[in-house]
Amino acid sequence: MGNAFFVVWRESLEAFLIAGILYAWLKANDDSGSGRRALFLGLAAGAGLAMLLGWALLTVQDELTGEALDMFQTATLFVAAGLITQMVLWMRKHGRQMKARLHADLTAAAEKSGHLGVAVVAALAVAREGAETVIFLYGMAQEGDLNALLLGALAGFAGAGATAWLAAKSLARLNIGLLLRLSSILLLVLASALLIAAIDRLLGAGWLPPLLDPVWDSSALLDDGTKAGKLIADFSGYRARPALTSLLAWATYWGVVIFAWRRSGRG
Amino acid sequence: MKHALNSVVFALFLASTAALADDMPTYKLLMKDGRFYPETLEVPALTRFRLEVKNEGPGATEFESLELKKELVLAPGVTRSLVFYPMKPGTYKFFDDFHPETGQGRIVAK
Repeated sequence: MGNAFFVVWRESLEAFLIAGILYAWLKANDDSGSGRRALFLGLAAGAGLAMLLGWALLTVQDELTGEALDMFQTATLFVAAGLITQMVLWMRKHGRQMKARLHADLTAAAEKSGHLGVAVVAALAVAREGAETVIFLYGMAQEGDLNALLLGALAGFAGAGATAWLAAKSLARLNIGLLLRLSSILLLVLASALLIAAIDRLLGAGWLPPLLDPVWDSSALLDDGTKAGKLIADFSGYRARPALTSLLAWATYWGVVIFAWRRSGRG
Repeated sequence: MKHALNSVVFALFLASTAALADDMPTYKLLMKDGRFYPETLEVPALTRFRLEVKNEGPGATEFESLELKKELVLAPGVTRSLVFYPMKPGTYKFFDDFHPETGQGRIVAK
């Protein structure tokens, strides 16, 4: 029960956090409510996708299908990291326009594509981690311990929802400039963590050379094999023993993001 | 034409994975009751090998190692294989992400 709570909480936290941050941002910037509708549609689609992906992972028997699913999951990591980054940059532009009371300048098409981005990001966030939750819950259901399953799972979902709600509420308290900045930073850090996870998968599958592995070992300071360390690793991309390839990808990511951020600030 | 090319590529891919599978030592790891059996796996250093992970349940498990960059979700009763690339001598930790309290193990490459 305690374990079910922790696993479900951790697996759903990322999706809830992304949803919470987007919600806080949309609420402050979009009066029509159509952005928030897009967000909820995306979340619902993600739940459906999670079940589909979970089912696919469960029924996989042969190696080839397993590899195809691995590739698919790796691809979703890259797509999610890319989309979140693009969305943050879009939000920055959009937010500036709103602040300058240039709402009319924002064409309907730009708004639509932005909302589509929000929906897709939300759907991917739910689908990715949700698939693992589906398998975890399926395993528990097979144990036959349905009471513990329901209690643990519901408490985990509620806990993750409450954590995200708290984050969204505290973000909403901030003034609009700070809200935009902080939510952007949180989302970008999450995106970089997804990128590192994707690179890890490519390294693990032997599709990318690690170059130098590990570059250092900081497990004495913060061990990513512990419960808390793993949580930090999942959300920030931290690795106690990073490969050079991962470090290069990380540095390139932040280099490109900071460059684009500065440029969009000038425009 | 494109279709034929795809088939050839696919056949080559199959052949290469089959060839790889042949000359690799295989080790077995059992996941049961939230624990690993054995908890310490000894493997030769600088050698590619295959690890056959079986989850006997109860419940789903997730074999994971950030050091070794592996992540594999297993429903109860499922067996899957992981290929590990040559590793330097040393100790590498892995854990069961669905049972982090009890599911801890390590690979010792010698």
